[in-house]
Amino acid sequence: MTTAATAPETLPLFGAPRDEPETAALVREAASRGTRLRLVGGGTWAGGGRPVRADATLRLSALHGIVDYVPGDLTLTARAGTPLSEIARVTAAERQLLALDPFGDAAGTIGATVATASVGPLAHAFGGPRDNVLGLAFVTGTGDVVRAGGRVVKNVAGFDLVRLLTGAWGTLGALTEVSVRLRALPEVDATVAVALPSVRELDAWLARLRAASLAAWALELVNAPLATQLDAGDRALLLARLAGNASAVDAQRATLATLGDLRELPPDVWARLRGCEPADAIVARISARPSRLAALCAELFAPAARAFGLMAHASVTRGVVRFVLPGADGFGMPRASAPATDAPPVRRVLERAPAALWPMLAADWSAPRATDALSRRVRAAFDPHGLLNPGAMDAPDAGPAASS
Amino acid sequence: MAAHTAEIGGHALDADALARVAAALTAIVGERHVLRRPSALRVYDSDGLPGYHRQPALAVLPGTRDELVAVVRALAAEGAPFVARGAGTGLSGGSLADGIVVVGLNRLNRIVSIDAENALAVVEPGVVNVTLTRAVAPYGLHYAPDPSSQSACTIGGNVAENAGGPHCLKYGVTLNHVAAVTVLLPSGEIVTLGDADGEDDGYDLLGAFVGSEGCFGIALDVTVRLARDPQAVRTLLADFADMDDAARAVSRIIAAGIVPAALEMMDGAAIRAVEASIYAAGYPTDAAAILLCELDGLAAGLDEDAARVAALCRAEGARDVAVASDAAQRARLWQGRKKAFGAMGRIAPHLVLQDAVVPRTRLPAVLARIAEIGASHGVRIGNVFHAGDGNLHPNISYDAHDADESARVHAAMSEVMQACIDAGGTITGEHGVGLDKRDYMDALFDAPSLAAMCRLRDVFDPERRANPGKVVPVHACREWHATPAVRRHAGAAS
Repeated sequence: MTTAATAPETLPLFGAPRDEPETAALVREAASRGTRLRLVGGGTWAGGGRPVRADATLRLSALHGIVDYVPGDLTLTARAGTPLSEIARVTAAERQLLALDPFGDAAGTIGATVATASVGPLAHAFGGPRDNVLGLAFVTGTGDVVRAGGRVVKNVAGFDLVRLLTGAWGTLGALTEVSVRLRALPEVDATVAVALPSVRELDAWLARLRAASLAAWALELVNAPLATQLDAGDRALLLARLAGNASAVDAQRATLATLGDLRELPPDVWARLRGCEPADAIVARISARPSRLAALCAELFAPAARAFGLMAHASVTRGVVRFVLPGADGFGMPRASAPATDAPPVRRVLERAPAALWPMLAADWSAPRATDALSRRVRAAFDPHGLLNPGAMDAPDAGPAASS
Repeated sequence: MAAHTAEIGGHALDADALARVAAALTAIVGERHVLRRPSALRVYDSDGLPGYHRQPALAVLPGTRDELVAVVRALAAEGAPFVARGAGTGLSGGSLADGIVVVGLNRLNRIVSIDAENALAVVEPGVVNVTLTRAVAPYGLHYAPDPSSQSACTIGGNVAENAGGPHCLKYGVTLNHVAAVTVLLPSGEIVTLGDADGEDDGYDLLGAFVGSEGCFGIALDVTVRLARDPQAVRTLLADFADMDDAARAVSRIIAAGIVPAALEMMDGAAIRAVEASIYAAGYPTDAAAILLCELDGLAAGLDEDAARVAALCRAEGARDVAVASDAAQRARLWQGRKKAFGAMGRIAPHLVLQDAVVPRTRLPAVLARIAEIGASHGVRIGNVFHAGDGNLHPNISYDAHDADESARVHAAMSEVMQACIDAGGTITGEHGVGLDKRDYMDALFDAPSLAAMCRLRDVFDPERRANPGKVVPVHACREWHATPAVRRHAGAAS
């Protein structure tokens, strides 16, 4: 068993196609030679996800540009290598936005966002890529160009290849084009912070928050070290993005003020949250039913987390805690020990780690993604030779998989 | 519609195989729950779309999860194709079984558990949609997907079709409200797709399963996400003398950043059909179109949004905008919309109802084109639809026994579907492809894309026994449509 992935920067470049037919031709050529390809867009996910063992890189960043944008339809189609920042710039001019805000810098592409199914705080209101992608085109591992879904907001024509490709990490096909739905910006879009109670009181506090009448676009908890990193003070906070007309936003402010000290924050706090992690960080996520969130936060939000500079944030409604451990040595990594046997299930995902550390951490932190028979058959159906991003959906190399 | 004559494909069981299947199923569920007499099977010979009739060989009605598993395993042992069926309210001929076995799921109707704290419920596939909403109402929760058939249709059927409904404009379709499904594969194997307990980061097989129209397996149970009841609701009725004006108002409202819970349009013919029926809702009978707009959410700010919607409608030419003053009036306005197709039953013996989606900005042009197509074929095409999503439901009341009229209706509907595709739309937003729209799939997808769909189906059902012959056109995937059973009984297939 190999233990480390080849670093992407050391792989030879197989090609950098400029359009879909060129992409298909290159994949067919790779298939004929048995060359395993690492798919790279903007490169922002190069250190993320499971280690890929490939022979060469297929660079997709030249598949770039917005193909179609009809503001009145609130839909947009872009080539997969188009950065989210470019989509944001174009749609902002029409007072619209694509409600996908994955973590990482603004160079991240729409293709990588969809391929990794990455979500950020806006998932509270709008879900993730699976809820916002209307259609896509991709090149399978045999070089076929497949179009799925469409450009309208509601569509059940045929079997759902859109959802299947979303979050497949490129292992079923190289995305070439993505159609998404957009949202209109509200009259008022305000960001406020509310101080969190102690970890001991968090459970009851979160129950009150969940029962409160809010129509927020995002409700994200951040621990004290992360609040400091965001220039938002030195206490653990709830960040709330309140949207709607002035009356609705004011009413929500008043509701939140009953839960703790409330203050206004500049809207760029969300961009800073997305970009909080250093390039060499270890990033992982823990999730459970939302009612378990306080228990999940117990360690990551406790004062001791500060000693390791461990930054953590959590989606209130999705029940997902994401934490960032600066430094590549894994020192201070929270124990991922199995919960007591009668505790409800907890899911763990390792998002980013140095390739050398991955096997050790993955044993505890990332259960096999796609090792069941159905998933193996899916992979074989779309990439029969296993050429595209091999390893990206596999079980960890070392040790038994954590089962939770 | 073509489809009075459309072939599902020859999958019929021969007499010997049928006798063996019947014996095996009877041993599992008992004599009473295996139907074989033509008179008993009559209720299974069509679904909510009149015009198609296919006689199943047999219907089996398991009463428990264990019985269902045993039934499917018995069918697998015999290599027998089958069609799973809920309430039969589907509108695309998707649950027709031509000489094969119907597995009826209506007896599997338990709500297994409700986790109000996390707004989740586990239900069996035969639970009726509105029954779930009633069961969780005491917790201040509801199940958001609300097809017009919600008082009859089942959650299992909703999952199979990825059903929508008026409120999916704001709340999304079935897929957005399903956390996990335990699936009984056609082979008899049981798998869990999705994860209600936390993040599931494998392939989105749940996303692939929802909307697979019964071709991937049967849901043994469904874990659904429940929605919190809104603090307040406002329902507005805008009355237009011109349908174009109403269509333009739809785009204006959406673009203004207001997301109505629902935004529905009915044309004059539909309005008059409703007002002449027991479902009369007080709609203006001289209107060319009405918009029914529902806003919900926080009480604060809702009246401002309602006033803004009213102003936008007036700016586009609405003659009047009324706001329902109480829950009873609101319910009455909605009943008219939800029962509109039922009300049309008064007009003629048959109704053909289509389901297409166009970009919202193309609504005025497409509605005009639909009227032209109707006029050129001498048929009156009505429109009752989810305008906020651009999800059209063109419909024609007619007499299917009149061959000439049937032919004209068929020709008109085919042109309507093509017009929607030409406008950048799709052939179904919520009813599924089934049998009815299978032949339009070529206009929407090229051969490699259709082949990719076939490969996905083969992952779940390599023997191609679950709801054979549906969704993907036969010629696109001939190998797929020809099940092993058919190949064995090639003589009987033609």
